[in-house]
Amino acid sequence: MKHQPFQPIDGLPNAPLAMPKQTLERGSALGGFFKAFFLVWQRN
Amino acid sequence: MGNRLTTGRAGWLRLLTLGFAAAVSLTAGIAFLDLIGGNRPVFLDWLRTILLVLTGFWLVWGGTIGLLGALSPKPKRQPDLTRPEGKTAILVPIYNEDPVETFARIAAMNRQIVAKGLGEHFHFAILSDSTSLEVAAEEVSEFERLIVEPEAPGRIFYRRRERNIGRKAGNIEDFIAHSGAAYDYAIILDADSLMEADTMLAMVRRMDGDPKLGLLQTVPVVIAARTLFGRMMAYSSAYFSRYFARGAALLQGEDGPYLGHNAIVRVRAFASCCGLPVLSGKPPYGGHILSHDYVEAALLARGGWKVEVDPGLGGSFEQGPENLIEYAKRDRRWCQGNLQHRRLIAAPGLKFWSRFTFVQGIMAYLASPLWLLLLAASLLSSLIPDSGGDRWGATPWIIGVGVLTTLLLPKFAIALRGATDGTNAAFGGWRIIPSVLSEIVISTIMAPVLLGFQSRAVFQILFGMDGGWPATERDARAVPLRTAFSASWWIVLTALAALVFMAYAGPAFLPWLLPVAGPALLAPFVIWATARGGDRPVSTWLFSTANERAPSPIIVEAEAILASWRASEPVLTTSLAEVAVHA
Repeated sequence: MKHQPFQPIDGLPNAPLAMPKQTLERGSALGGFFKAFFLVWQRN
Repeated sequence: MGNRLTTGRAGWLRLLTLGFAAAVSLTAGIAFLDLIGGNRPVFLDWLRTILLVLTGFWLVWGGTIGLLGALSPKPKRQPDLTRPEGKTAILVPIYNEDPVETFARIAAMNRQIVAKGLGEHFHFAILSDSTSLEVAAEEVSEFERLIVEPEAPGRIFYRRRERNIGRKAGNIEDFIAHSGAAYDYAIILDADSLMEADTMLAMVRRMDGDPKLGLLQTVPVVIAARTLFGRMMAYSSAYFSRYFARGAALLQGEDGPYLGHNAIVRVRAFASCCGLPVLSGKPPYGGHILSHDYVEAALLARGGWKVEVDPGLGGSFEQGPENLIEYAKRDRRWCQGNLQHRRLIAAPGLKFWSRFTFVQGIMAYLASPLWLLLLAASLLSSLIPDSGGDRWGATPWIIGVGVLTTLLLPKFAIALRGATDGTNAAFGGWRIIPSVLSEIVISTIMAPVLLGFQSRAVFQILFGMDGGWPATERDARAVPLRTAFSASWWIVLTALAALVFMAYAGPAFLPWLLPVAGPALLAPFVIWATARGGDRPVSTWLFSTANERAPSPIIVEAEAILASWRASEPVLTTSLAEVAVHA
């Protein structure tokens, strides 16, 4: 395996790696409908 | 093809095991319903039967896993110890633990790695989340000892976050966000973990050889226990757990669990799949995910990566709580984390087994209040006159023998298997007999006390109480009787109330309540007596493990380093400003 050389920052290698946030909660379809339909004015 | 075969076999085994547990618990339920209600059951009879079937299912499920493990073939895989291709960061997240002990273990692991000429392939990163400034200062001071260890400069790092966002999972995430791209793999340890260099090398070679393997979990063995409670847990972990883990691994296949430590992850897979969101709402159910490990395993499996457990990989150690109070404290944290998983059971895209694992984790804690509810319903039912229905003859003894068989059969099957595969010989031959029997007796006595603690934890969480993130004091040993009493007086009162109630309402049933109410009545004494041991092990022959009889070189090395460090003050060779600390 090839390794890219990295400059250390604060001792540890400065080699950022993105860790995107995952989706774990499923929005309730019924709840979403009620929010979109009845509570639309709250968004403003 | 091989993967499909493995998945198919695991699928069939899951179906058979789940079916078996369901059939046994339903049969027990039918017998129980006949016993208590005959053919004219009332509401309370139905409620008690449903509770028995629910709790019984998980009891049988656990027992079946143990039986499967006892019957399964011994892992034959020879570890590949050739030079690794990938570069590995050994991450040690710490949180207010004793840095002398933790750093001594790191020094021991580093010495083994360097002695094998593998220094360039393994770096250490100590990731401190310590909130106590005293402990943090000690960490910096003790790091001075580590940095003069062989090949340490440029390979052993220390950094401390001033704000521990996301707790342990956030700590690891912070490392990956700053330095993850420099490494192929990360071996994630706990502050009390210890691992042989050969084990780490074997794990890295497994990752090198299987590009779809996202996480490989070892089954750590509890070491360094001194009290009766600690030694019993260590014995159970060393003797029984290897078989239970073998049975569980057969069922898990490529959707295994992650225990949060003593495992290796493929850094890019982990980074792309395991960025944990903050759950909507407030704790205990909302906020940061507490039991992050099972969620990360589920997310890796969702991302198409293999998550495997290898019970055959030895040389992986950890420490455990030394008394019932510390155990209950850790349990409270795990309980909140597991119950929080109810929010994630329906998460999009998860594999069936990951969802089942969440349910299993929830039921591990929910079972206690359900058992308690069953007991309370049984007490109440003694007030109601028998409906006098026809019965086909089930007796309380049938149910009692059924429960005992479920609890004891796996342990006896493991003891028999151990006699044939060399395990018993490693554990002292005949000495396993008193140890196994004592484990059964002591864990039976402790069970009602644990039932009390777990039930309270569940009720606290159901009422919205957040338990926070208290560190487990793994070296906290003796418990004074006064402390034991102040921690468990409410268990004593509850048991007393139940016994008095039964003595008046149905004295004939009193003997059936005594196995639970008796130990609960003596809870403070049970906590105090099982915490005996202190500075010297409570005994050397009872609960003597294979590692105690022939300690692994890494354990000997870590103990020797710790003893020499304890005997001397740290020598400051580096100015503190050079020590890497970033928020």
